[in-house]
Amino acid sequence: MGTGLADIGRKSAFWPGVSREHKAPVTGSSGLLPAAGGTAVTGTGIPPALPVLPALRELLPRGGLARGSVVAAAEFGLLCLALAAGASADGAWCAMAGVPEAGVVAAAGLGLVPERTLLVPDPGTGWPQVVASLLDGCELVLLRPPGHVPAQIRQRLEATLRRGRGVLVVAGDWPGAQVRLRVLRQRWTGLGDGHGRLRACCAEVMADDRGEAAAGRTRWLWLPAEDGRVTPADPADLPAGLPLDPPTPLDLPTRLNPSARLNPPGHLAAPALHAVRAG
Amino acid sequence: MSTPSRVMVLCCPGLRGQDATPAAARRFDRVVAVVTGFCPRVEVTEPGVCAFAARGPARYFGGETALATKIIAALAELGEPGQAGAAEGLFAALLAARQADPVRLVPPGQTVSFLAVQPVTVLGRESTGSESMDLAGLFGRLGLRTLGDLAALPAADVASRFGDAGETAHRLARGLDARPLAPRSPPADLSVTQEFDPPETLAEPVVFAAKALAERLHAGLAARGLTCVRVQAKATWADGRENSRLWRHDGLLTAAALADRVRWQLDGGPAATDGDYYPPGGIATLRLAPDQVVHATGQQLALWGETVISDRVARAAMRVQALLGHEAVLRPVLSGGRNISDQVTAIPFGEKSEPRLAPDRPWPGRVIGAAPGLVFRAARQAEVTDAAGHLVTVSGRCELSAEPARLSVAGDPPCRITGWAGPWPLSERWWDGAAARRRARFQLATEDGRAWLAVVTGGHWLVEAGYW
Repeated sequence: MGTGLADIGRKSAFWPGVSREHKAPVTGSSGLLPAAGGTAVTGTGIPPALPVLPALRELLPRGGLARGSVVAAAEFGLLCLALAAGASADGAWCAMAGVPEAGVVAAAGLGLVPERTLLVPDPGTGWPQVVASLLDGCELVLLRPPGHVPAQIRQRLEATLRRGRGVLVVAGDWPGAQVRLRVLRQRWTGLGDGHGRLRACCAEVMADDRGEAAAGRTRWLWLPAEDGRVTPADPADLPAGLPLDPPTPLDLPTRLNPSARLNPPGHLAAPALHAVRAG
Repeated sequence: MSTPSRVMVLCCPGLRGQDATPAAARRFDRVVAVVTGFCPRVEVTEPGVCAFAARGPARYFGGETALATKIIAALAELGEPGQAGAAEGLFAALLAARQADPVRLVPPGQTVSFLAVQPVTVLGRESTGSESMDLAGLFGRLGLRTLGDLAALPAADVASRFGDAGETAHRLARGLDARPLAPRSPPADLSVTQEFDPPETLAEPVVFAAKALAERLHAGLAARGLTCVRVQAKATWADGRENSRLWRHDGLLTAAALADRVRWQLDGGPAATDGDYYPPGGIATLRLAPDQVVHATGQQLALWGETVISDRVARAAMRVQALLGHEAVLRPVLSGGRNISDQVTAIPFGEKSEPRLAPDRPWPGRVIGAAPGLVFRAARQAEVTDAAGHLVTVSGRCELSAEPARLSVAGDPPCRITGWAGPWPLSERWWDGAAARRRARFQLATEDGRAWLAVVTGGHWLVEAGYW
């Protein structure tokens, strides 16, 4: 998916959603800022990007999910649900295809509105057609493709995306993705040796967008925080026991080893974690 | 007051008084279906007992004895023992059926004398309500041993002494029924069918016929003031294959919209190929049948509280339903329940969104705190071992054999456990053998930064959900 004229137009548009303050004040139950981010409107009347949760804005170019683009997350998990939650809370319809194990309770805690969510747990062999149909109706489709996606199918879906105004969030590998996100490390707090309960998870999320910053941005997030939402984490109060040395760039599977992210659900799909453990 | 007409009662002693079990109700429904074959207008008076007016069918089948024997034989084929009795009036016929072996017919005109020798306690057994039970005991203590004794008393005195219940009992004892039979009419067949001869191989004529069928279906429903919640569209191919699908209707679909759905269904069907051509011999029959017929009371759009589904979303969802089936597109509803898997009810798109378990109840015993991002559809096999490598077990008193040290989930490499909590015992629905569950839950954090919801049940470790 090349940077077409439309993309250039979007980039030049004034975009107030990219607020640079680190800790955005959180309002409302969904944790969305009112009148910021996704509600800005360009001349066409359609906002150029779907809003995301405030804590995720800094990770994404233009502070949202650009319409007509593909956003890839390394594997299915809370990060994918959090990406969908912001748009859903803003009034968009979301669909999840190929993810029968999606935790809707957790997603609702992050801000996803279950009433505006469609689940297609088993899209079957005709999944590209199912996804194209869903993109006609929903503004955000979360997809975990079954295995490797041939380039031809990818390009066809990207063309469908460009025609419509939806966003495809892929849990898995997608070479043409505008943004790739992955959780580098995470650690849950609240569990002791035989006591306590899971309370919050501190995760280092890395975003790597094609064409723009080559190095990629990393942010520490509470994913989720104790109240179930996503908030920026202060590195000062990270839980003990978290491996703090950053992973070496060689471990990133984005370029060197894309197939590493195609693991079936439940597999250890983050090679960086092995590296961290070893180091 | 005239004597009631002849009534035949059929009772299945095995299915009586079991109204609580759905299985017994289904079995009795089959019994009623068999009886309906002999006489279309049957009243189900209580679980296990049905009654019908005997005069017509008895004349047709050559006498009450022949009729009763035929019905008992038909039921015996079904595997249900039955007893039949006939008399003037429902009450007497019911008593006769109780005493039947397997047929007991009170000859015409002898109902009153048949009733007169019955003990007064049958009032408590056969009529409804605890009031008549008390009354039967009271009559006994007053020295009225049989219904004949009771019937011999003046009606006005019984009514003034014992009130309404006494009057009813007195009427029953004299062979008069409290009410006439109220048999139900068999439901009319509202489905419409179109046969194609020769079988149709092109889509267009089938869809065109579907539109005409839908119009006939709607006309048939409207003539009776009915509408249906869903429509079943069923296509049969010439080689015998069938394609059946339920479509949400709610009285909202026009004939053209229903025809569209038939087209989607056929396009997504097993025999669909490119173009409008159905190769295996073509379509032989198309049938539209209303499902869940209800009275048409008009449509009222929700004022608020229900999410409005735009046409765009509905069209997309229904196109996917046409490809994959009605149950393939789901809408989640947050529900209650103690287990993670119960806390979301997924309802097919287009159906009424109602949680299976009430979400606003406290549900003591559920795992509180952070919710897992992944809830596995089927719990995954796992093994939790202690530092020495032995399987960690949980005793009946919820005592752990050792501290969990390693977790290996089927399909994943084993991982060291860095934190754990539990066991949290849960014993659910112990009164229901099929649904009873006894388990101990754990939360386990592993060194790769993930966390798991693990369950021990029946000595096996399972992983139900993943937190990441």
